[in-house]
Amino acid sequence: MTSYLRVVWQAFLLQAALARRGPQNMLMLLVTPMQTAGLLSLTLHAHRPDAVANAVIAPGLVGLWVAALDYAGRVVPEDQWAGRFTPMVAAPVPLTLVVAGRVAAVVLVGAVAFAESWLVAAAGFGRVVTVDEPGVFVLAVAATCLASVGTAMLLSGVIALSRARDVLQNSLSYPFYILGGVVFPIAVLPLWVRPLSRLVFLSWSAQLLRDAAHGTARHWPLSLAVILALGAAALAGGMWLTRRIVDVARRKGTVGYA
Amino acid sequence: MEAAVSVSSLRRTYERRRKDTVVALDDLTLTIARNEIHGLLGPNGAGKTTLVRILSTVLLPTSGTARVLGHDVVAETTAVRSLVGLVLGGDRGLYDRLSARRNLLFWGALYKLDARTVRRRADTLLERVGLAERADEPVERFSRGMRQRLHLARGLLHEPRVLFLDEPTSGLDPVAAVAFRRLVLELRDEGRTFLLATHDMDEATALCDRVTLIDRGRRLLTDDTANIGRLLGDRECVDFAHDDPALTHALNHALTDALAALPEVVDVERLDDRWRAHTADREGSRRVLAWLVERDVLTARHAQPTLEEVYLRTVGDRGMRV
Repeated sequence: MTSYLRVVWQAFLLQAALARRGPQNMLMLLVTPMQTAGLLSLTLHAHRPDAVANAVIAPGLVGLWVAALDYAGRVVPEDQWAGRFTPMVAAPVPLTLVVAGRVAAVVLVGAVAFAESWLVAAAGFGRVVTVDEPGVFVLAVAATCLASVGTAMLLSGVIALSRARDVLQNSLSYPFYILGGVVFPIAVLPLWVRPLSRLVFLSWSAQLLRDAAHGTARHWPLSLAVILALGAAALAGGMWLTRRIVDVARRKGTVGYA
Repeated sequence: MEAAVSVSSLRRTYERRRKDTVVALDDLTLTIARNEIHGLLGPNGAGKTTLVRILSTVLLPTSGTARVLGHDVVAETTAVRSLVGLVLGGDRGLYDRLSARRNLLFWGALYKLDARTVRRRADTLLERVGLAERADEPVERFSRGMRQRLHLARGLLHEPRVLFLDEPTSGLDPVAAVAFRRLVLELRDEGRTFLLATHDMDEATALCDRVTLIDRGRRLLTDDTANIGRLLGDRECVDFAHDDPALTHALNHALTDALAALPEVVDVERLDDRWRAHTADREGSRRVLAWLVERDVLTARHAQPTLEEVYLRTVGDRGMRV
């Protein structure tokens, strides 16, 4: 294993250990069953058995987004606040590797929400959601997780640079559930919003996951490619931003300050 | 042989609001030899931490140059980072919920060490800093002294040749501070170089080969710690007190006036717990000692001004101002 990969792996293990030690890092997994229950109740009350899969997939995507936004977004600011940023910057490896490893662990915890929502549907509502194209579905989940890591990197940088972190974090959740077509397809959104939606990887992920569940994923290679490309673009942006955070802090003398 | 640290005309300014500029380091020049323990002394805001941060590459200088073991801290950042260890004082800087060992495994990876090497070094260092038995406990249960020792272990993981210690014993109890200093001396014997930024004069006196006093970003003096007293005008001193400490301040003015009148004595001053007679030379000190003994003042000794006195006189009394 190269030294850089080792850094990513150790950062991953560190975040996993922090999640085990700090239950608040897994709070989103307590929310997922309730979201699933709420969405499923609405769907069943409306006599829409065709939308059950949508109601089960949505909490999984919400869990990933919460992980990327709330938890990964805190990685750099928390290290700054706790005085760990200075020794981290003083080390010879790029900070981006540490952030990448840690957000990957956070996203993996978020991905557990998919399994949770499935279990809640089966055990709580007696609805076992079947997937008509399981191979495509697994690929879509994997690509979505990778894109979430890239996006979490970007969000981590944006939030660390922001002077109003809490406000930013709070305001970036619901708009992205809508733009990402997480709860309902973007086809129901106004026409002028749709191009914007297509820039959000969640919209491609949500559609592909629903199509794979219903067996209608005809253009899945294209969708997968777009999800990965948007994730890669976000990752590149996140890495650039993280480098910039370090450069600015070294120049302004704010490495040791939160 | 190349110096361990060489700083030339180093300047660092900070822009504040309303576009005024604060000068943290001003034209600082300093050289630290290899295998030296060099003390950096100065009041709050003197520029000590700024210098440590520049040398450990977490802060960019505004102008001037700084080199560590021949590597420029701006142009050769990665090389410098591999060679130096940074040990910051205080409670922060660690993952409190995780164990000491887990912390070291993570920080070791940041210095490109493989897992086996980090584990081996972590075990050795935890033993050395006296934390082996608590290695698997969360750091949040550690005392300040234990955290400080863990900070040092982290700074040593990659076996750096130069260590920067910023207030490493602040808040430690005396026993822990002495143990910490003993460890630093052992590490120096292994060939490492130290730059120690501290307020603690006893610590600087006990540890440092040389000290530099800085104030308002400027170097005031650099000299051997053992000879620092010479800087107060090369004066010799005789310290004396009454055998009964309670009566020290009651030594009558007739005695001190008589002493001050001796041709060998430059002046006599009252310190906190004793009196001090400044003499022109060593022969003068000898005569003053004999003169005091003849008058039943039996607690007397030849002395030189301490580092603390040099510090106070050089930096000046500014009370709580920074």
